[in-house]
Amino acid sequence: MAQATLEKRGFRNSPLETIVDRIWRFFCSVRAAVVEIAILAVLVLIGTLRGSSVPRWIADAIPATEGIVDRWYGWDVFHSMPFMLILAILTIAITVCTLNRAPGIWRTINEPTISTTRGFIRNADVSANATIAQPVESSLDAFTTSLKKKRYRVLSEEHGDAVHVYADKNRWAKLATFPFHLALILILIGGIVGARYGFKENEFIIPEGSVRDVGHGTGLSVKLDQFSDSWREDGTAASYRSDLVLYENGEEVKRDSITVNNPMSYGTTTFYQTSYGQAAQMRITDLDGNVLYEDATELGIYRSSTNPDAPAGIITLPQSNLRLNVIAPDEDRANAPMLDTLNLESGQMYVQIRGTGPDAGAEMQDAVLVQGVPQEINGIVVEFQRETRFTLLQVASNPGIPIFWAASFLLVGGLFATFYFPHRRIRAILDRSGEPGVTQIALAPLAKRDWSGQKDFRGVVEDLQRRLQTDFVVNERASTYLERPAKPASNSA
Amino acid sequence: MEGMVRLSFYLFAAASIAVAAAWVCYMVYAVGFIRLRRTALATSTGMTVTGSSTEHVPGPMSAARFGSLFGWFAAVFAGLSVLTRAIASHRGPYSNMYEFSLAFVFVLTLAYMLFERFYNVRQLGAIVMTIALGMCLYLWSLPPRMREVDALNPALQNRPLMTLHVSAAIVAYATFAVSFAAAILFLIQLRKNVSWLPSAEMLDDIGFRAVTIGFPMLALVLILGSIWAHQAWGAYWSWDPKETAALFTWLVYGVYLHTRSLRGWRGQRSAIILLIGFVAVGFTYYGNYFFGGMHAYGGVN
Ligand code: HEM
Repeated sequence: MAQATLEKRGFRNSPLETIVDRIWRFFCSVRAAVVEIAILAVLVLIGTLRGSSVPRWIADAIPATEGIVDRWYGWDVFHSMPFMLILAILTIAITVCTLNRAPGIWRTINEPTISTTRGFIRNADVSANATIAQPVESSLDAFTTSLKKKRYRVLSEEHGDAVHVYADKNRWAKLATFPFHLALILILIGGIVGARYGFKENEFIIPEGSVRDVGHGTGLSVKLDQFSDSWREDGTAASYRSDLVLYENGEEVKRDSITVNNPMSYGTTTFYQTSYGQAAQMRITDLDGNVLYEDATELGIYRSSTNPDAPAGIITLPQSNLRLNVIAPDEDRANAPMLDTLNLESGQMYVQIRGTGPDAGAEMQDAVLVQGVPQEINGIVVEFQRETRFTLLQVASNPGIPIFWAASFLLVGGLFATFYFPHRRIRAILDRSGEPGVTQIALAPLAKRDWSGQKDFRGVVEDLQRRLQTDFVVNERASTYLERPAKPASNSA
Repeated sequence: MEGMVRLSFYLFAAASIAVAAAWVCYMVYAVGFIRLRRTALATSTGMTVTGSSTEHVPGPMSAARFGSLFGWFAAVFAGLSVLTRAIASHRGPYSNMYEFSLAFVFVLTLAYMLFERFYNVRQLGAIVMTIALGMCLYLWSLPPRMREVDALNPALQNRPLMTLHVSAAIVAYATFAVSFAAAILFLIQLRKNVSWLPSAEMLDDIGFRAVTIGFPMLALVLILGSIWAHQAWGAYWSWDPKETAALFTWLVYGVYLHTRSLRGWRGQRSAIILLIGFVAVGFTYYGNYFFGGMHAYGGVN
């Protein structure tokens, strides 16, 4: 890569090439990445504070900021243009950066530069040297064995009177940065896929014994076989359970019981237990006995204006252009007669029937049904069969889930490999130019300002010392953080 | 209070005392003596100029050793307190701020003691134990009813996920506290070149190592949290303020990790980002106090 750029510089780039090159380099730059991540962080912070009382405090403290604070509360940061834009930029940057770095990292792993210079070793933060009373070949063998014991790969090359050595370990972990960074993109993709192709139904109701279609093109339908609950002594619900049967295109595919926090999943669709309520099993036929409706109707979703506390439900019969309001007895006896004008008994159900067609008037027919007794009203026969219950589920489908799982593993695994298997590198020169049969060895790690790397290097040197029975001189520079540019001649008093 | 819960409370009291004792010892060690040095300088014109400079002499090493001893006591007592409470409540430390903070004191002291052992430096103790002491005082300031073990809101009943989610958060925050302490000493070291402090390189390394634990842990918090949210609320990510606060914190440490590969940034500016990161941690930790949203249950609202 480096060579390619060098060749290119020999020619004059066209303006377009220059621009492309500029943009490419902008996206490759870690410095730009820092700024981009910082901008993202600031936006996240603004969005976070919006959900808090902090802006209010600011407005209270500095009245002049009132207007800005109001705008702040009004701004949905996480769905705003700037937020999407910075996510897009980061995605491009990660992609470009990956493409740009891959060849270099591959070369570091597979064909690293072996030759080094004395200057590099001299200027390293820490280095070691020794005189070994053995010829270079056997010194190199001992050196190699020692490093291999410490899991280093050792590569060497003859350079005149010297052998140059490059040793490294954990080189494959260098690749871990790719799965990690790509995982960040995958999470975004998962989010987009989830938002675009997923759905969330907060009030999916199935009365006991009934089947309901999930819709949204899933081909799924669910039957509530049974609903059961258990109570604590104080009258609060301890838990409740729905026994569900799932059908895909009419075929049973799954059977499971769900409770709060124990949902049922099929493919990317998940059913969560949320709540439950009362329902009425109703049967409606026409005068010839053809069934128009036979199902449980959930009550308590609607509220009747005449009887506000009584559980109410609605049945629509599109074929007959009719709509039925179904109202159950008010459970609170104290409401009668003021709020509870119907004053139904248990086992009764009140229905109002109204036409829904274009020429339907406002007139309504009503009746009080008694459980198990079919009754003719307005040309149909309505029967309240029995009370049942419905379960209230939340249905969410997120096709992003598998992507999200994959991303999670790549992300954590990538970080783990990057952090706990650091790439350690050592360069050495074994020199035979002095007395015959004697090796001058000098070595240093590539560990600038890297305390751990230097510590690891000292361990390697100690090991060598033992193995070669030779004393090594370790040279350390004082802290490079504290090195200041040389001051002008001090004005001593 | 039931017996086990009471025992847990007494162990917490013991841990608080140990933290306070460790704090005093580390402080004595760190503050040491400030010696005033007066110097008389003769100038070339024959006048004499007197100048004074302060010199910092560390406190006795024995104080630091006692600090470590009390630090271990604190970790053990706090650990036992968390354990006995978990036995009594049959769950992880996530029902309210009392349990969460108690577990934090445990992991913070433990993480610090392990770092202290690994690097064989005791100078960070003064800062870390100040944080631990602050947490203990906060715990004592919480309403005593929180020390009881209550039945849990059904929405929080997914034990393994909740325990992992919260434990990862505690480990992340504790290690970030260690990196914060290292960053402070690093900044002091850059300016003053204090010989008794660890080298700048080592302090930088401590800060980085702590983040290499905290950063993946916080990633895990976000992931486990969203998996749990998926199960409890049917939504992976709802842009809930406590979620986004954790994301913000994670991004700050992401910036930190990148600055380490920028030559001009590594060092001072990286250390400053560690300080910002820890402010973000505090903000996320106490977020319950000023956020509404789904995490508002922590017992403080
Ligand atoms: C939200 C976005 C990002 C996050 C959270 C993130 C996080 C990280 C982390 C945790 C590391 C490991 C640090 C280490 O090895 O010490 C890293 C390394 C790196 N990242 Fe990113 N990154 C992000 C975006 C980017 C982008 C956009 C680029 C490209 C310009 C980039 C380029 C790099 C490079 C070159 C390294 C290796 C640095 C080194 O070798 O020390 N990152 N990143």
